[in-house]
Amino acid sequence: MSLREALLTHNADLLPGRRDEDWRWTDLRGVLRPLPDMSTDLQGLTSRPDIEVLPGVIVRRHAAPVAGGVSDIELVVARGEVVLLLDAFEAGEGAYVRDAALPIRLEEGASLTRLVLAEDGADAVSVICSDVSLAAGATFHQTVIASGARRQRIETRVTHPGQGASVRLDGAYLLSGKRHADQTTRLDHTGPGGESRQLVRGVAADQSRGVFQGRIIVREGADGADARLTHNALMLSEKAEIDAKPELEIYADDVACAHGNTVGALDEEALFYACARGIPAPEARLMLIEAFIGEIVERIDEAVLQALARSFVATRLEALRG
Amino acid sequence: MADIDTIQTVEALAGDKYVHGFVTDIEQEFAAKGLNTDVIRFISAKKNEPDWMLQWRLDAYERWLVMDEPDWAKVSYPRIDYQDLYYYAAPKQKDGPKSLDEVDPELLDTYKKLGIPLREQEVLAGVQGAPRYAVDAVFDSVSVVTTFKAELAKVGVIFCPLSEAVRDYPDLVRQYLGSVVPVSDNYFACLNSAVFSEGSFVYVPPGVRCPMELSTYFRINALNTGQFERTLIIADKGSYVSYLEGCTAPMRDENQLHAAVVELIVLDDAEIKYSTVQNWYPGDADGKGGIYNFVTKRADCRGDRSKVSWTQVETGSAITWKYPSCVLRGADSMGEFYSIAITNGRQQADTGTKMIHLGAGSTSRIIAKGISAGRSSSTYRGLVSVHPKARGARNFTQCDSLLIGKTCAAHTVPYIEARNASAQLEHEATTTRLSEDQLFYVMQRGLSQEEAVQLLVNGFVKDVLQELPMEFAVEAQKLVAVSLEGSVG
Repeated sequence: MSLREALLTHNADLLPGRRDEDWRWTDLRGVLRPLPDMSTDLQGLTSRPDIEVLPGVIVRRHAAPVAGGVSDIELVVARGEVVLLLDAFEAGEGAYVRDAALPIRLEEGASLTRLVLAEDGADAVSVICSDVSLAAGATFHQTVIASGARRQRIETRVTHPGQGASVRLDGAYLLSGKRHADQTTRLDHTGPGGESRQLVRGVAADQSRGVFQGRIIVREGADGADARLTHNALMLSEKAEIDAKPELEIYADDVACAHGNTVGALDEEALFYACARGIPAPEARLMLIEAFIGEIVERIDEAVLQALARSFVATRLEALRG
Repeated sequence: MADIDTIQTVEALAGDKYVHGFVTDIEQEFAAKGLNTDVIRFISAKKNEPDWMLQWRLDAYERWLVMDEPDWAKVSYPRIDYQDLYYYAAPKQKDGPKSLDEVDPELLDTYKKLGIPLREQEVLAGVQGAPRYAVDAVFDSVSVVTTFKAELAKVGVIFCPLSEAVRDYPDLVRQYLGSVVPVSDNYFACLNSAVFSEGSFVYVPPGVRCPMELSTYFRINALNTGQFERTLIIADKGSYVSYLEGCTAPMRDENQLHAAVVELIVLDDAEIKYSTVQNWYPGDADGKGGIYNFVTKRADCRGDRSKVSWTQVETGSAITWKYPSCVLRGADSMGEFYSIAITNGRQQADTGTKMIHLGAGSTSRIIAKGISAGRSSSTYRGLVSVHPKARGARNFTQCDSLLIGKTCAAHTVPYIEARNASAQLEHEATTTRLSEDQLFYVMQRGLSQEEAVQLLVNGFVKDVLQELPMEFAVEAQKLVAVSLEGSVG
């Protein structure tokens, strides 16, 4: 079951729906009938990103397809290389359907810091999936910031070999209107001594819906794995919805794994405190949200990517005003 | 000293550590093997049921025929042949005993061996002021005896086998049976609705605080027999009852099926405390034999300020598939779930809870402790769901897993669905192994490795053990120790 297969074969029965455990909160069956026509410029693999190089940063701009489009671009970071990557998904018009597969391979000692800024149209269906494999001693740090779509799913599946490799998988979603955003991660610890850190934060206003699914697997023999995962969500309206499923699947005994998950409203006391100091309530609310999401931005360790993330978040915060 | 320890440990391991694994040799009668409408009619006739009950069963059977066995749990077992089971087994008796003296001595002996007091004077014979509890003893498909019925009746509490309640209190049973777990709720509950044979019925009238602990003791004895008990507990307005359930079975090489349904109904200001010490035969070290424990338990907190507390100690069964749940319908209703699940050998457990928040101000608390040893696997699977009208709902969840040994597995799968902004939900989970430092510290003070592990494990599960009624907490603590015997070193 995948959107890609359904698009390529034009068979709506292959769409994932709420009966598929991994898609229970991101039902595509209900929203994609009939399936869109595929864009005809390239057979099979349609949209290609524009790749440019900012000083020190590789930028891949992914334009939205006109109707339906699939893309498939692999990135290999060679042995010992250090790369900063921005994947920018641009919103298009109307009810387009995007399916992007962006596999990444990191060779021994390679380092990749990746920022994904996902902007999609309010009527779009967008599925972005990255399979990431690391060799020993590689570093993969990722931050995904998403603003949702009719259905938006950003999935990252990492194979972590342990052996000195390091993984950070962060994410944030800022949702308004009727938007939906799904961040799904799967972190597979396959070798000894692996460390991973994950922090995902989201805010859902109006009638939006935030979904987070994070699975940590520690295979037999992946001893000494140290994996932490935290998801915090804020609900800003009575009609918003947050669904979360952090999972631990552990087959080794010498491990330290933990996950935390909280859902709640803005802290009334903090709000009162700010208001009592003369800050109007809407401003105070925005400040608190900015601080909440700001922690994700501050964890990005490359200044140029951090600045890009900050400006993306600022634009989305404006949409939450009011 | 060390030598004596070693000898004792080896001796303890040499004999099989499952002490309830004996078989009672008693003449029994069975329904024909397999499942069909004739067997259902047979069970219904054996129980002298009114026609509406039979129709209810037949309707459930019809629905079960078209359902699929669920496969989403993290457990694996060969397909069950539902036609290769007996659905009814009962000790043979003439007209039904009038008093305990007429009950087959073999049966009485069985309960004596299990340490279950069936004679009221025996319970009283203990130390002055010792807590008393009433027992309903279920042997395969029938209830052998229910103690303290008369004394309970004085305060209006009804405590009897469900089959008796169907005949004596049909209005209560008709009103509530299947109202919490609908007939076709799931595959195993539906099977149970068609063939359930025995279980306990409790009704606590308004304002009554039940004067003693109630308990049911389930025993599977016969070969190739499934046990399908059904328990229904109703706590009327402002009442309180504490109920405990215990289970054991003989050691057999074949797997046996236990598919129970438990329904709790809690009205305004009432409270039910439901404790389970589940010690079904877990199978041997290679995974041969053992009970398949596929159980549906659910509480419906219908009344405002009603409260349900589930406490479970799960040490037995080859496979456990069980999610005691709370539907928090009433305003300010409260659900609690305290669980210890221990798996050893080849045991597999997929267990957890569901807290469905429907009422404003409803609160829930989940404390789940999983311990895996040997080649076993233990999964916590839980759902906390807050519906739009549950303003101010509050949940706190903590699940911790402890791994002992390199070949076991522990999984945590919590689902959270929040549809109300004023809800506050928190979930924490950790998975670790026994800390080397702690073990070293304790052993340095003179404890053997086995004792050190027991001490640390007891500390790990303490939050849950203290929720059990006192006399059972002691038993549960011993059970925890026994279940983990031989898992280290």
